[in-house]
Parts: sequence; structure tokens; C-alpha cells
Amino acid sequence: MSTPLIRNERFVQIAAPLLVGVLVLLLWQISVMAFDVPKYLVPSPVDIAESLVKDFSSLFGALLMTLKVTFLAFVIAVVAGVAASLLFVQSKWIEVSLFPYAVLMQVTPVVAIAPLIIIWVDDTTWALTICAVIVAIFPIISNTTLGLRSVDPNLLSMFRMYRTSRWQELVRLRIPGALPYFFGGLRISSGLALIGAVVAEFVAGTGGAKAGLAYMILQSGYNLQIPKMFAALILITLTGIILFAAMVWMSDRALRNWHESALKVEH
Amino acid sequence: MTANKVIPLNAVPEAETETNVAEAGASSRPILQVEGVDKVYGNGTVALKGAGLTVKQGEFVSLLGPSGCGKSTLLRIMAGLGEVTTGTVKWWEQDYDVVGSKGRKLAFVFQNATLMPWARVRKNVRLPLDLEHVSSSESEKKVDDALEMVGLKGFDESFPRELSGGMQMRASIARAMVTEPDLLLMDEPFGALDEMTRNKLNDDVLKLRKENGWTIVFVTHSVYEAVYLSSRVVVMAARPGRIVDDIKIDKPYPRSPDFRISTEFAGYCRQVSQALERASGMGESKEDC
Ligand SMILES: Nc1ncnc2c1ncn2[C@@H]1O[C@H](COP(=O)(O)OP(=O)(O)O)[C@@H](O)[C@H]1O
Ligand SMILES: [Mg+2]
Repeated sequence: MSTPLIRNERFVQIAAPLLVGVLVLLLWQISVMAFDVPKYLVPSPVDIAESLVKDFSSLFGALLMTLKVTFLAFVIAVVAGVAASLLFVQSKWIEVSLFPYAVLMQVTPVVAIAPLIIIWVDDTTWALTICAVIVAIFPIISNTTLGLRSVDPNLLSMFRMYRTSRWQELVRLRIPGALPYFFGGLRISSGLALIGAVVAEFVAGTGGAKAGLAYMILQSGYNLQIPKMFAALILITLTGIILFAAMVWMSDRALRNWHESALKVEH
Repeated sequence: MTANKVIPLNAVPEAETETNVAEAGASSRPILQVEGVDKVYGNGTVALKGAGLTVKQGEFVSLLGPSGCGKSTLLRIMAGLGEVTTGTVKWWEQDYDVVGSKGRKLAFVFQNATLMPWARVRKNVRLPLDLEHVSSSESEKKVDDALEMVGLKGFDESFPRELSGGMQMRASIARAMVTEPDLLLMDEPFGALDEMTRNKLNDDVLKLRKENGWTIVFVTHSVYEAVYLSSRVVVMAARPGRIVDDIKIDKPYPRSPDFRISTEFAGYCRQVSQALERASGMGESKEDC
């Protein structure tokens, strides 16, 4: 317990990137001040912080809107993605017939189909959510399917020897074995849900009561409120980081007893 | 199970000539009969050609042979895990398919412990009972007994990765035990372990076999292990996989580690090694094994 902080792995993991961040911010502030760069070109960190406080109410409302779409899309992507994977592992035929369409959805740029969806779906929130789902669902489907298929063939033989039903095989063998893959998909998908929500909103350009962070960025750009633009950007980034950290935490908790990815290795 | 005795004529002499192989008191009733089995895999590999083997109650049969000669294939067929291309397999002298998987009480131990990494030892060992819907009060008792017998008492709440390789193998054996199988099939179960652990586990298997009256078919590539454990060593040759030798080890059980250093043991080892060498030379290809 008397190890110096610098030798403490956890401390270093947090302190090192933090230090880099602080240094970059300092350098940024100093350069902007030294070269007298106007606010509407490159705002200083202090300008951005001011804007965060000043425009808090409008920014916060927008954040809630974006969060709503992100979470809705993420939950739908997870539920639908897992359902699709479970369907795929039922038979090779189903997978062969349907998987290409999952890929199709993945490779179609969301900006290209967002306008269509926005025309077809009246409610903006739902239109944005559908776009975000399309972006976020693929990692869930592909990872979970891979996981459900990656069973130890000997364990599978054993289950067959004890004449296990497919249901038992799924519940006792395939699903627990697929968890590490599923959580891997979750990490990627959570970020994609946010990206999907923001991109879709850029395309939709919805303002008014339903404005999200993407609209804030667009509008601040038109009004040359560059500090506010940065503030919105920071909120998006923070949301992404928190989402990712939450996923990592969840997967560590779920897998900590057995999976390599979540084990604390002592050297 | 005595009804429906269907023994083809050509199997009778073999069944009659092999008494006194197993230890005293063991019945000579055949549990498992493999007759004229060919196995051709989908890719055209002829894994077995005309394989025939009778395993009687109480016997400890080792399958020995160069790698790729079809030992695992034969064992899987015995377990009902693979279809035969031609030939028959009988269980208690009844056709395998007629008996059905429910009537065959057997357990399989793989080379790797093959435990579910996400489940604690207790849950792993209990798995066959869970799959057979045995009531939990009954299964808990069986699991406790099995864990005690294999020397894993107190490790029931551990996860597999917290155990050493040898202990994982013990858990795997405990899992095979809980269903009280008539026949235990083991595919190179200790192949991945160091020699000390392997010797220890060999003695433990002999002890457990005595206590539980197991009949065992044991695949190994170690001549010493085969001789030490078995009442019969069956030698296989590759390309195509077939049985070429069947050597009785006429040393009564219980066997102690002293047996390992006796001249009798050395004699058997020489005999089996020579048979194995002949078998390796029999393959159609000329490569050395
Ligand atoms: N599932 C399979 N598909 C095709 N060929 C196989 C399969 N399993 C085993 N074989 C082939 O059958 C032969 C016997 O294999 P195996 O029974 O595993 O031998 P052993 O256990 O004696 O090493 C080998 O040539 C192997 O490559
Ligand atoms: Mg093998």
C-alpha cells in the first residue's frame, strides 16, 4: 500500500491522459491569446466554458433531445439485433438468406437514406431514431451471431449426448458463451447510436422544440457563435465517452469472474 | 435388457474366447460391440475401415495408435456422436439405434476439461443431471459425492480458470461420474498434463474405477499409460484406420505404482511398443509417425 502513486496502475491510467488534456488546453488558451485569434475563428477554452454556462438552458434541452434519440435507438438496436441473431443461429438457411440484408443496411450511408425516412415517418423523433438504429444495429447482430456460433464443439457434443433440447442448448451453452461477443458489440453500438442520432439530425435539420445538439451546431455556425458550437460538440463527445465507459463497466461486471477481457491479471 | 438378444454368428467366437481378461468378479457380458464399422467423412477421409471391438463389463480397454488413425472417431462412434458409414454398433447386445440414446448410460471425458468457463465447478459437475432434469436435492448429493471422490471438495464454488489443469480434469471426471454411467469413454484425458499429474490421475482413475465398478475405454498415445491402466490394449493403424492388435495385460488389479517399475511392466511395454511400431509401419503412406 506504500507504493508511490506513480507506480499505481489505476492512478496512471487516469492521471496520464488527464495531464495531456490539461496541457493541450493550456497550450490552446495561450496560443489563442498570444496570436490574438478572433473568437469566431477559434474560441479559447475559456470562451467555450463561458458559453457552456451562458447557453446552458438551450444546450441542455438539446442534449436531452439527442440523448432521447440515442437511448431509444440503442435499446431498439440491442433488442432487435439480439432477436435477429437468435433467429440466425436457428438455421444456416435463415442466416444465409437474411444476413446479406443486414450487411446491406450496414453499408448504406445513413445520410443517403435519412431524407427518405424523414419523409416517410411523420414524427421527427421516430424518424431520427430509425436512422440511428440502422447505424447502430449491425455490430450487435454480427457480434452476437458470431458469439452464439462460437461454442466449444466438445461441449456441444456433450450436450448432444445428453439429448438436450435446442432451447436448453441455447440457454445453457450458446447464450452464456456469446456474452463476451455481445458486450463487444454493445461497446461499438452505443457510440454508433449517438453518431446516428447526430448525423440524422444534421440531415433533418429539425429546429424548434425538438432541436438536438446537431441543430445547435448548425445554428451556431450560421450565427457565428463558434464558442457555442464547440460547447455543443463537447457535450456530444462527453456523452459518447460516458456511454462507452458505461458499456465497459457493464461488461466488466458481467464477465469479471471468467472472461479474459475482464480479469485483473497480476504479473 | 436380456430380451432381444441379437448376436450375429461371426461375433460369437470372439465373445466366447475372451474371458478372464478383466479382473476377478467382472462379468463377461459385452456392453458395447462395434462390428465391421467403416467411417468415411464428408471430405472423403476414410477414418475407419472394418473396425471391430467388443468391450465387456469391467474391462479397461486402451486404444493406442499413431495420430490420425481414427481413435477419436471410433470413440465418438461408441458414444453415439457420429454416424457410421457401414457396420453396426451394439449396446448391451442390442442394436444401438434400437436402444436409443436414453437407454445408453455412458459418459465422455475429452482431452481438454471442456468445462463451461462461466459456471462454477459445482454447476459444471451438475450439468449432466440438470440436462436430464434430475431433482436438485438428488443432484446436489451426487455432486457432493463426486467432488469428494475426485478430491475437489471445497472447490465447488471456484471458477474453472482458478483451478490447475489437473484439477480441471478432475472436475471433468466428476462431471462424467454423476450420471453413474455403465461405460466411461475417455479421449486422451491426461494428454495435456505433466507426467507427475498424469501418474497421480492414473492412480486416481484406477481407484475410482474400483469404487464405482466402471468399464472404461481410454484413448492414449502413451504406451506406459496404456499398460499401467488397462486390462487390454488395442492397437490401431492408420490410413485406413483399423484395429491391428489386441494385447491382454494379465496383471490383476489393484495395481500400485510398484507395477510401473516391475520387469513385468517393462515386458508389456516392450510388447505393446513393438505392436505399435508394426502398426505405424502398416500405413499406406511412408511417412514416419
Ligand atoms: N470432422 C472430420 N471431418 C473430416 N475428417 C476428419 C474429421 N475428424 C477426423 N477426421 C480425419 O479422420 C482421421 C482420423 O481422425 P481421428 O479420429 O481424430 O484420429 P486420432 O484421434 O487417432 O488422432 C484423420 O485423418 C482426421 O484428419
Ligand atoms: Mg484424437
